Amino acid sequence: MKNMLSRRAAGLAFGLLFAAAGPALAKDQLHFFNWNNYIAPETIQRFEAQCKCEVVQTYYSDNEELLAKLAAGAKGYDVLVPTSNAVQALIRGNQLKPLDHGKLPNMKNVDPAFMNTKFDPGNKYSVPYAMSTTIIGYNDQKMKELGLPTDTWAVIFDPKYLEKVKGRVTVLDSANELFAAALIYLGYSANDTDEKHWKEAADVIKKAKPYWAAFNASSYIKELTVGNIWIVHGYSNDIFQANLDAKAAGRPFQILQGMPTQGAVLAVDNMVIHKDAPRPDLAHQFINFMLDGRNSADLTNLIGSGNPNTAAAQYISPEIKALPAVFPPKAVQAKLQQLQDLTPAQRRLRNRMWTEIKASK
Amino acid sequence: MTTLRHGFGKWITSGPPLVFLVAFFAVPTLIMVLASFRTPGEFGGLAPLRNEDGSLDLTLESYVRFATEPLYWQIFVKSFWYALVTTLACLVLAYPVASLIAQSDRRWRSLLLLLVILPFWSNFLIRIYAWMIILGPNAALARAVNGVLGAFGAEPVPLLFSAFAVLVCLVYVHLPFMVLPLYANLEKHDRTLLDAAQDLGANAWQRFWRITFPLSLPGVYAGAALVFIPAFGIFAIPDILGGPNDSLIGNVIKQQFLDSRDWPFGSVLSIVLTLLALALAGLAAWIGKRGVARLASGHA
Repeated sequence: MKNMLSRRAAGLAFGLLFAAAGPALAKDQLHFFNWNNYIAPETIQRFEAQCKCEVVQTYYSDNEELLAKLAAGAKGYDVLVPTSNAVQALIRGNQLKPLDHGKLPNMKNVDPAFMNTKFDPGNKYSVPYAMSTTIIGYNDQKMKELGLPTDTWAVIFDPKYLEKVKGRVTVLDSANELFAAALIYLGYSANDTDEKHWKEAADVIKKAKPYWAAFNASSYIKELTVGNIWIVHGYSNDIFQANLDAKAAGRPFQILQGMPTQGAVLAVDNMVIHKDAPRPDLAHQFINFMLDGRNSADLTNLIGSGNPNTAAAQYISPEIKALPAVFPPKAVQAKLQQLQDLTPAQRRLRNRMWTEIKASK
Repeated sequence: MTTLRHGFGKWITSGPPLVFLVAFFAVPTLIMVLASFRTPGEFGGLAPLRNEDGSLDLTLESYVRFATEPLYWQIFVKSFWYALVTTLACLVLAYPVASLIAQSDRRWRSLLLLLVILPFWSNFLIRIYAWMIILGPNAALARAVNGVLGAFGAEPVPLLFSAFAVLVCLVYVHLPFMVLPLYANLEKHDRTLLDAAQDLGANAWQRFWRITFPLSLPGVYAGAALVFIPAFGIFAIPDILGGPNDSLIGNVIKQQFLDSRDWPFGSVLSIVLTLLALALAGLAAWIGKRGVARLASGHA
């Protein structure tokens, strides 16, 4: 009896397996290796209807993870969305396939200010997708109660302010992002590579560390939403998401974006095609689709990304257009900096400092 | 003929796991050892094996860096303490559970064992996230603890993002790995030994300490190894539940491969971790053997 049952169960499992694999085999597939929460399901559905194919998404949570996977020889991805400095690393590592501009008529929609950058001259391999800034996110109720400023990195780094929010602050668990913020706070360039300045930045971080609850790149959205954490160093679209979640949960507070007057890191993410892409045809079709104004506008309206697509502007809700962290006004734009890749020696030095920061009391 | 058949059968049964182990343990370890003598590539991975002048790009730089920087030793020591506390806590908590199951009626044993491994039915990360909710500052536990502390005039303490959170979760995740080997050992104990001891006038504590515990030592060592070794190198729990001071060696190794794209140095740290774990397991096995031998000679 038992045997019968297990055999039947096995048969059922096989049946299900084939039922699931059947249509998938028949359908064309585009493998999209994307950031978590970086495209709306509605947009995917629209593309699937248009291409009569299936989009298979896998996710990464930072550029380093993407680079590490590809450097270790991962294959099977068509389209990736690395940040500019990672695009540069991928180009130098011979990981990308050149774009066929003839198949991308919508490339004309991209704001020329974001084209032809030093990361990829002539956009041979990459085309901008969306962008985010690394800023301050805060619980408006608590900040008002405590009378804290929300437009300066001092609120993350200066013990004078931190005393009031001890244990309620998180910073990104990313050496590059946190060093950039500390360097900007000190008045240096985010891309400063002077060891002396790095030491100063490390000191700033060490002095502030006792007041922080955690280095956190994964759960701070949730912690902001439930009200455990009141102020974070985080990505603009994550903070946007935290506010949506707080609204949906009916919280009495809002999670707002604070753009520091000192400046901030800008991350432009770009669509690229992997050198071993199984379907470069679908990849081009997808890239062109995402460069269409209406589809690109979804990235802003639904997930709060900054948008380098000029054709998207007309579809974007005015509420979001007014957010300086998503659409930085000219004066702020001048103070935004994109991070550059470090050399192996610089990466070693920075990692050593980072480990020391983490180990320090 | 029989020896041939015997030998053949042995190979058939032990061959596949042997091949599996060689392929998935020895080969990656070998790659790691080779990588540890190379230099990191400009954009991740390793630099080409041959320099521009054709010489081999092999260096001891990563080893020198490790040996000359006390920072990394400090982190190893810290990770050692976390793993040791976890192991001891698991032992203290698991022992009564294992002996209770071993002493319970045969009918119930498999059900009780099933309950011990029940947590494995849900994903490891989900269980860690559950602890985030349990330990959160607005959850009942933190309020109760801080209410009591407040009554004594003490400052409130955060439970989440702390060494406490990391240790609680380490113990929680590894507890079944201590219960199972202990149970496997305790279940085999001959109860007549305890009856004999009682007849000879040993009280409950003496019976435990002079009979049960020494006999259970192989189970204790097996459990300790199963808990200590994974706890020593863990990175997910301190990543998710740890505060700013809870970065362990597993996190530092992960950083080498991801953030810093420094495979050679990451390999050196991994090799040291593996060697330390092997040395500790060897030490435990040696102590265990000596203990059993002493016991055997004592009873002879």
